[in-house]
Amino acid sequence: MYIDSTRHTDADPKPRTHSGRWSTAAALGIGWGLLMSIGSGTPTYSWVLRTVLVVGLATLAFGVAERWPPTLPRWMARWVIQLLAVVLAIPVAAFFGYSLTTSWPFWAQSQRLQGFGIVTFLAILVGPWIALGSMVRQREALARHQALAFDLERSELERQALDARMRLLQAQVQPHFLFNTLANVRALVNSGSPTAPVLLDSLIAYLRAAVPRLGEPATTIGQEVRLVEAYLEIMQMRMPDRLRYTIAVQPDAMHQRCPPMTLLSLVENAVRHGIDPSEEGGRIDLKIGIDNGHCRIVVADTGIGLRLGKGDGVVGTGLATLRERLRLTFGGRAALRLMADESGGARAEVDPPLDSTAAGSVA
Amino acid sequence: MKASPTAIIADDEPLLRSDLASALGRLWPELTVVSQARNGRAAIDAFERHLPDVCFLDVHMPGVSGIDAARAIGRRAQVVFVTAFDQYAVEAFTQGALDYLVKPVEAVRLQATVHRLRERLASAAPSTDLAGLLDQLETRLQRRITTPPTLRWLRASIGDKVRMIPVDEIDYLRSDHKYTRIAWRDDGGQPGEALIGMSLREVIEQFDATQFVQIHRSVIVNLASVSHVVRRANEMADVHLKGRPEILPVSRTYLHLFRQM
Repeated sequence: MYIDSTRHTDADPKPRTHSGRWSTAAALGIGWGLLMSIGSGTPTYSWVLRTVLVVGLATLAFGVAERWPPTLPRWMARWVIQLLAVVLAIPVAAFFGYSLTTSWPFWAQSQRLQGFGIVTFLAILVGPWIALGSMVRQREALARHQALAFDLERSELERQALDARMRLLQAQVQPHFLFNTLANVRALVNSGSPTAPVLLDSLIAYLRAAVPRLGEPATTIGQEVRLVEAYLEIMQMRMPDRLRYTIAVQPDAMHQRCPPMTLLSLVENAVRHGIDPSEEGGRIDLKIGIDNGHCRIVVADTGIGLRLGKGDGVVGTGLATLRERLRLTFGGRAALRLMADESGGARAEVDPPLDSTAAGSVA
Repeated sequence: MKASPTAIIADDEPLLRSDLASALGRLWPELTVVSQARNGRAAIDAFERHLPDVCFLDVHMPGVSGIDAARAIGRRAQVVFVTAFDQYAVEAFTQGALDYLVKPVEAVRLQATVHRLRERLASAAPSTDLAGLLDQLETRLQRRITTPPTLRWLRASIGDKVRMIPVDEIDYLRSDHKYTRIAWRDDGGQPGEALIGMSLREVIEQFDATQFVQIHRSVIVNLASVSHVVRRANEMADVHLKGRPEILPVSRTYLHLFRQM
């Protein structure tokens, strides 16, 4: 988690493959040395020393050029520096290799000079290719790592979307709400009241509007409003002394699309956390309009407000999943704002951006 | 020999109150429902006024709940709780051997409850000591309605307005005497400041410790808002934030948190 910004500033971090690199270099050096010593008068160990030195120093130069200098001008690619380092290191290493294994100055003897030339030539011929191969493999590993990270992030987002849908399903078929409402219907039926069928109709409208949401990714404001109307009708019949409501929707907002249950979540939250806990109840006002490229949704209530009972602090409300759903659908463009209302209650606002592909305009 | 037993019914939904009263009228004709209350407070008032033998209390009521009312009533009457479909409540009631009815109330169940109550009143058996059970009951019901700890809101004042700030929009928190300053992103992504009347110590207890980390005696930062950390001399460090110019100090005590590589 710790990133020291004073060190290297290259765009991509290079995974360190030290052990692999050096063992390969060692094997190459020794193998080459053994090969060169075949049919040569010079003892094997001399050859091996020279070749190991050449390969070793070239690998070292490659590694050093990987990290130093730390910042390069934009037009200079690091791989060029690394190749140059390898090419420069080879003759230097060969020079040292020969100096250590023969009498000095080794270039006086034509055979040694020839050998030096051959070693240097061969190394410069093959070395850069090996270096390039190593760099290509590094890049590929990095690309694979990034692809994996993207996959992981995408599947994580998919999982979050799925989770949000699951919770939506659970919220739609709340047994608590259902059984309570049915109890009220039954009470009306028992007493032979003429409002029994009215309540039943509202419940049917609610279920009909809520349940089909199971598969859809979006609905229209119009459908949402019908759902909310059914809900508020039910709640008002259940607690007539404690709930009043108004719904004001601009006609051209009716066809706008929005995530399912958006309005219902807001209204339910207002009822459950604002109106219901209040002994005297209150009023809920739903307003939907269009303004400046956005659909403006406001749900205000005159309930108990954002009281926690202990003053300021952290509060968990029922709008958690709505925020997530809005984020998944609109990114950051349709935030949910929750604040105190002048009436002492609470006010929730959502501004989803207008859907340019909305079918039809005015109802 | 008790002449005519009395009862009160408490429920915030008027239709359900009168429905239960009618049902009792059919199944227990000798019982007189002396009062119907619309919330816990009214229930307690009605109880003190009439001192009935039985109280039917809806669990979920505004202000004073059915459980609070039952506490106030204590052992002075037989209490029957009424609840909508709620597996947790039902579990709690069964565990505590409390009388309860589930809405919509079925005639058969009500009949059984009435039978039990009649027996108890006739034998003048003392009512269950609810005190301890009620505490348990309340904790169980509270557990059901806790929201997931990850997505939460912080209630804060911005100027003269009160706003709910989603916790993941908070960049960092800084203590200011007995208050705490919140640095957050508003819906336009613009940095803003808010104030809450809680000390930093009280606030940090409520936050998710894996996302919000204390880096200094008076600063808590949201790890998601951290751009990078620069080590300084003297075992200190600076935290740089994404999209904000402020630099937050990391004190020696907390430096170890940033050493995981």
